[in-house]
Amino acid sequence: MTDVHSTDPAFVDDATVEVADASVWFGQKVALSELACSFGPGVTGLLGPNGAGKSTLMRAVTGLIGVNSGSVRVEGRDPRRDREVHRRIALVPEDEAVPAQLTAMELVRYVADLHGVRDPGAAERALELVDMMPAADRRLRGFSKGMRQRAKVAAALVTDPPVLVLDEPLNGADPVQRVRLTELFRRLGAEGRTVIVSSHVLSEVERLADRVLVLIHGRLAAAGNHRAIRDAMDDRPRHVLIRADEPRRLGAALLRIDTVAGVSLTDAGLVVTTDRAGDLAVAVAPVARDLGVRLREVRPLDDSLESLFRELVR
Amino acid sequence: MSTRRSASPPLLAIVRYTVRACVPAQRLLLLLPVAGALLFGLLARIPDDVAAVAFARVGGTAIHTLVLPITCLIVGDALLGAEIRSGVFAFTWLSPVSYATIVVGRWLGGCAIAAAILVPAAAASAIVAGAPSSALAAALAAMAGAGAYLALFIAIGAGFKRPVVWSLVLVIIIERLLGAALAGIAQLSPGWLAQSVLVGLTADGAGLARKGVPAGWPAVGRLVLVAIVGLTIAARRLRSLRPASSAD
Repeated sequence: MTDVHSTDPAFVDDATVEVADASVWFGQKVALSELACSFGPGVTGLLGPNGAGKSTLMRAVTGLIGVNSGSVRVEGRDPRRDREVHRRIALVPEDEAVPAQLTAMELVRYVADLHGVRDPGAAERALELVDMMPAADRRLRGFSKGMRQRAKVAAALVTDPPVLVLDEPLNGADPVQRVRLTELFRRLGAEGRTVIVSSHVLSEVERLADRVLVLIHGRLAAAGNHRAIRDAMDDRPRHVLIRADEPRRLGAALLRIDTVAGVSLTDAGLVVTTDRAGDLAVAVAPVARDLGVRLREVRPLDDSLESLFRELVR
Repeated sequence: MSTRRSASPPLLAIVRYTVRACVPAQRLLLLLPVAGALLFGLLARIPDDVAAVAFARVGGTAIHTLVLPITCLIVGDALLGAEIRSGVFAFTWLSPVSYATIVVGRWLGGCAIAAAILVPAAAASAIVAGAPSSALAAALAAMAGAGAYLALFIAIGAGFKRPVVWSLVLVIIIERLLGAALAGIAQLSPGWLAQSVLVGLTADGAGLARKGVPAGWPAVGRLVLVAIVGLTIAARRLRSLRPASSAD
């Protein structure tokens, strides 16, 4: 497998997690469709809009669900059938659900006991890693979403897993904790662990991961480093809204610029279609100045991740 | 600040977790079965009969028909079904611990909770009924019945999407309605068998025994068998379980 895919950015040479043509469906809904990719040491970001199949992939990788066709292997073993795989892999699920009656310390110790962690100080160290020791003896039911996420991260880290799967781990975290958790995940990746992190926020994945896989409708839409993903974004046609004093005159002038593919006048203003948004941004102001037209607003209409995803699957 | 402690074996960790995590937050609710059992004990004083026989006939029947299955249903759902629905079960499932250990650990934890509620309730009921000599038998019947019920409810929790509904179907339709008519079903029903344990161990209670259903210690043996079957089914069901997620 490694040789065949050595030039495909969806695959890595030293894979610890291999997904081969995996499909998962729930009744009529296809959650993953013949997905093929692999993950190795370092941080890999899974990017995609809600419902893209990120959580399903992560649950398949950890064995929480089986694949309907294809296969998933973690260090060569089937996570669905081989319980021993769970000594090597940990999941931080996106669900907010936690055993509310337990304290953070009890949850972490419970997971440690299930994994046969003998080190009596492991739970404290795991909680310290996520700055949770001050709240270690508080019950989880009183925790904010961000604190619950950190408690779950501690529960995952207490087993010292070589493969760590994090489903939207920064959800609910405050800005300071986001920075700390991001640094922690990057450090874990640098230590040689396979860290898989999902998010629907591109900038978040950029900070977390060197390698990014983009999932859309259960299929792999793009793969590579975040620059490659950004390039994929920049190459697509975009719509830019321009509000100006004399939109009709400005629109006519803009049509003469190479980067402009089309112009339409709407109630909101002038909507310009371009395949090079950066060049357009540079050109608009001189054109308006030459015409004596006052610009009031220039903003992209479709810069959301969802619009990128739509373009990537067109 | 927490103190360091050495690691526990997985089975003990699961039992301890179950006792901590699966008891309702409103602990006062746990007194309801006790109150119900005491009420039925008082009602057993009404019939003009030998106290032990009256207790087995009135108090025992009411406890094993209402208090025992309802308490076990609430506790049994919390042991597995509720955690699977909420997604919390992933913390346990994603471990190298065998399915059998998970199921037995949950069951033992549930038995500990049930024992803390039902055993004193059943014994107190016998005492209130004026039949203190039946207290041990009532406690044994409640514990053995609870063990079998909990095993079945864990199996239902592992195998069905709406375990509470299916558990009610088991208790009301299969046990109560069909079991009342068919001795073959009563022979495998925790409620009927628990009542038979009490009746069989009650002096002068032979007249209350149901034909075709073992009584006394043989009924205890039958309840153990039902529990083993329930736990085996639950462990097998966990193999194919897809723990829930908000993403599903």
